[in-house]
Amino acid sequence: MVDLIFTVISLIVIVPLALFLGVIYSYLLRKLSARFQWRVGPMLRMYGDLKPLLGTTRLLQPLYDILKLYGKETIVPDVSRRRLFVYSPFLSLFFAVAAIFFIPFPGMPLLSGVPYSLIIASYLLIASILFTILGPVASGSPWAAIGARREVELFLVSELGFVLSLFAVAIARQSLVIWEISSGGQSLYLALLTVTAGALMFVAMLGKLHIKPFDMPEAEAEIVAGPYTEYSGKLLGTYYLTKVFLLYGLVALFISLFLPPIATDVLWLPLYIVAAVVLVFLLTSVQVLNPRYRIRNAINWYLKVAIPLGVLNFIIALAIWLVV
Amino acid sequence: MGIMDKARIYSPWLYHLHCGGCNGCDIETLAALAPRFDVERFGVQLVPSPRHADILLTTGCVPKQFIPMVKRIYEQVPAPKVVVAVGSCACGGSLFYDDAPENYAILGHPDLLIPVDVYVPGCAPKPEAIINGVVQGILKLAEKRSKK
Ligand code: SF4
Repeated sequence: MVDLIFTVISLIVIVPLALFLGVIYSYLLRKLSARFQWRVGPMLRMYGDLKPLLGTTRLLQPLYDILKLYGKETIVPDVSRRRLFVYSPFLSLFFAVAAIFFIPFPGMPLLSGVPYSLIIASYLLIASILFTILGPVASGSPWAAIGARREVELFLVSELGFVLSLFAVAIARQSLVIWEISSGGQSLYLALLTVTAGALMFVAMLGKLHIKPFDMPEAEAEIVAGPYTEYSGKLLGTYYLTKVFLLYGLVALFISLFLPPIATDVLWLPLYIVAAVVLVFLLTSVQVLNPRYRIRNAINWYLKVAIPLGVLNFIIALAIWLVV
Repeated sequence: MGIMDKARIYSPWLYHLHCGGCNGCDIETLAALAPRFDVERFGVQLVPSPRHADILLTTGCVPKQFIPMVKRIYEQVPAPKVVVAVGSCACGGSLFYDDAPENYAILGHPDLLIPVDVYVPGCAPKPEAIINGVVQGILKLAEKRSKK
């Protein structure tokens, strides 16, 4: 009974917490890439004389963006398939929030202990991304259609890498429960797997989050805003909110799968934050150091580099399972 | 001031609409976004689609062929929105218009088509002036309420 109450409370707490952390990660992404480009980026401490007008800090800049979008007019194009167009952002958000319920946070196992939670979480993440494709397709805009098509192609290859890395870990640790994986111990062989499968997962995250070499679905210079071209106001805000939750969810999933036992006990919280910041830093450095791939290059790259790496992971994982 | 009004002031997104003109103003506008002036410090972002924008930044003297596009882009921006006209061209036609109001190809300035809220004169205006214009635009934006 106590367990149940604790779980319910932690499920309620995790949503604002994930929103907050996701906003901080997005802020870091923006700020760090600005710093890499010799800019200042959203100010951490506003200039003294501008404070009354512009606020003291812009740490929550992504949240302000979302709030502003919720205060704007929402335009639904005539040519769109109205229902799919309007409901897709909300379904996408729903699945992203549902996914974070299955990923543990230090001190809060949430639902990560339920059987097959690894599979449930990965399916929910896939469903969330699927609705970021379906909505734009329904909008009737050619730019959105091109963006969505690129997203599908990218999704197919990056998903393969994602699944391969997840299951390599699952095989090596002989469990499909995230909580069991994230509370397991470390050994030399598992550390080796962490490096290879972690690298693969990192690359898959780049594709899922549209980070620079793989941002062709949103390629601003070519296809307006890609999938989001026709979205405005609340619907766009909902997609941005989804992105924030997805960023949090993927970072949390990475930490809980590849850096056990950081995501289990509340005492690990400082280390968890450090790991998350380092991960966001790595994502940003990849973002600023790379130009955008063409979609064909990206697929080739995934097929030539990521998939063989995934197969290698599988072999390592099998070896760990059979030998160790 | 409610949190929504604050958010509106804190995150103005620009859509840069180039209509005619000589590109001088556009270069200065981009300079305002580049490292030296970096308006992202205050949350300003350049967005690729007019549907995402709060502030429509127009430059140039609107050739007649541009008329339908300018109108359409203005209508695509969701309310509340403001229009900032950057450069002498966008304020009154400048050298393309002054001496020859009957120019067969040039309409004159965007004010003849869409309601402009802020004018930034100068040929080309400095990035500081453009930033000032955007700030005036933000203040006007804060006054406008979103209408359903
Ligand atoms: S105002 Fe001057 S710099 Fe700007 S577009 Fe017109 S002619 Fe060019």
